[in-house]
Amino acid sequence: MQLVDLPIPEPKANEAVVKLAASGVNFIDVYNREGRYKVPLPFVLGQEGAGTVSAVGADVKSLKVGDHVAWSSVLGSYAEYAAVAADRLVPVPSGVTDQQAAGTMLQGMTAHYLAHDSFPLKRGQTALVHAAAGGVGLLLTQMAHNIGARVIATVSTEEKAKLAREAGADEVIFYTQTDFEAETKRLTYGKGVDVVYDSVGKTTFEKGLNILRPRGMMVLFGGSSGAVPPFDLIALSTKGSLFVTRPKLGDYIATRDELMERAEDVFGMIGAGKLKLRIEHIYPLAEVQRAHEELEGRKTTGKLLLIP
Amino acid sequence: MKAIRVQQTGGPEVMQLIEAPLPQLKPNEALVKVTVAGVNSIDGQFRDGSLRTPLPFIPGQEGAGVVESVGSQAKLVKPGDRVAWSGTLGSYAEYVASPENHLVPVPASITDEQAAAAMMHGLTAHYLVNDAHKLKAGETALVHAAAGGVGLLVVELAHAMGARVIGTVSSEDKAALAREAGADEVIVFTRQDFEAEVKRLTEGKGVDVVYDGVGKATFEKNLNVMKLRGMLVLYGMSSGPVPPVDPARLSEKGSLYMARTTLAHFTATREELLARTSALFGMIAAGKLKIKIAKKYPLADAAEAHRDMESRKAGKLLLIP
Repeated sequence: MQLVDLPIPEPKANEAVVKLAASGVNFIDVYNREGRYKVPLPFVLGQEGAGTVSAVGADVKSLKVGDHVAWSSVLGSYAEYAAVAADRLVPVPSGVTDQQAAGTMLQGMTAHYLAHDSFPLKRGQTALVHAAAGGVGLLLTQMAHNIGARVIATVSTEEKAKLAREAGADEVIFYTQTDFEAETKRLTYGKGVDVVYDSVGKTTFEKGLNILRPRGMMVLFGGSSGAVPPFDLIALSTKGSLFVTRPKLGDYIATRDELMERAEDVFGMIGAGKLKLRIEHIYPLAEVQRAHEELEGRKTTGKLLLIP
Repeated sequence: MKAIRVQQTGGPEVMQLIEAPLPQLKPNEALVKVTVAGVNSIDGQFRDGSLRTPLPFIPGQEGAGVVESVGSQAKLVKPGDRVAWSGTLGSYAEYVASPENHLVPVPASITDEQAAAAMMHGLTAHYLVNDAHKLKAGETALVHAAAGGVGLLVVELAHAMGARVIGTVSSEDKAALAREAGADEVIVFTRQDFEAEVKRLTEGKGVDVVYDGVGKATFEKNLNVMKLRGMLVLYGMSSGPVPPVDPARLSEKGSLYMARTTLAHFTATREELLARTSALFGMIAAGKLKIKIAKKYPLADAAEAHRDMESRKAGKLLLIP
């Protein structure tokens, strides 16, 4: 990752150029950088940002120069300017700062679809949230708590337990010291949970199936410990007619309407103070290498931002 | 009493009519005089040993009849009550001892034959469209084996709920049955590729839900015919078990959902069993759900009934003790 001087991009007919105020740093950026996910070379990294519209293409009607906007899932945000398809840009309301907007697009909308759509949580239900002090985990815990669900969180350290509790976790399990299967069964009097939200994958999936109530839902949305190997469907039947889904954000913001509704909802929660972001690490654009080193070294908690 | 006994697992011929003593009642059981026993594919799986139970045994999981006597602690039923059940082994007999909480009352408005025939297939169809994936008017459902025992009832219920139903069947005769039951489109999979047909019929969009009792033969293509965030409900595997599944495929194919369900988990509490049967019997009595009875056999002809079932003739088969 090298800092270079490039011409400011010209918008295509359906694009807007955004002057970036902040760009989010995510694990997907590391995967793109390493080549684990293939992108044609050379490329400008970064999939998440917020800023001000500086130019619009000929066909763009919904935006004008000066609008505050944010986006995710479009490459090129580690820069002073980015050209983005206008239908992927969402307006940022006045109660939300550019840094908050940039910091919430990927993880905030992910937490939102998990809690509201992959499994629409209801008051009184119980959710197990793995890696509850992680970026998505903390936001998901807050949303689940706000819905009125009981949240059982798994974390690795005392510091992370504190964060999960602050976010609204009712119970916290240290998976490094306690078997989360036995502990979840104890905490639910053997009944199991309505839903497991699992971004850990390989090391947690099997046990996750064991702690679901009959007809419960496994939402597998990542694999930080490795990919879950192929599994025998009969397990779903013998363990209680279980449901499994493996969602990705793109499918939950596939239409312009859904993207707008979801972003508005998340920004609304931030503006109303119901959803707290932890923006803990802010780096100048030129220090992107350090940002990636710290993210990969698991030295960070909360969100990392680059400021161009 | 007369009963069918399986001494050794195997083909239909292992089912022998014998004279057996009346079953001994446990305190929470009722002795039921069986008037009708339903024949189901699960009976064939117990008979041939692919599902295990201690030998010898009396097959049959489903039936209807009249309570003859009750155990010392039974409170839910009394002698003379008309009842039906599923999930109680031993129904291929003149009498069966059933835990009383498996027995559901049969209203005067429906016959024993209707009640017996409706229990496994009807309750299964009911949970599929109401609970495994709650169908909404305007949604599109793909129903495999749409002229089969469960399939026909799923088609009827889905149609009544206002869903668009695409059925797959193996022959023109079965296609006619599926259409009569309310299928909007029928694909004869022996001469049409169901994946291409479903895509064509949905203008490339795919279906909201697939109800699949077939398993291995249909699994891969199912993943290609669902909408974004669509649901695959696997409730049986008549063509064999699906090989292990890489969950990443659900993500690649559009954040799909998958469930592998069995009836027991949808009738687990007495409350749910009663609510589901009462809804089902209500629809049958009102003529909104037609239970087709393909053929009735005397108890002694159980082997013939199994041969017919396994040659995949359509519709419900009953034994009359």
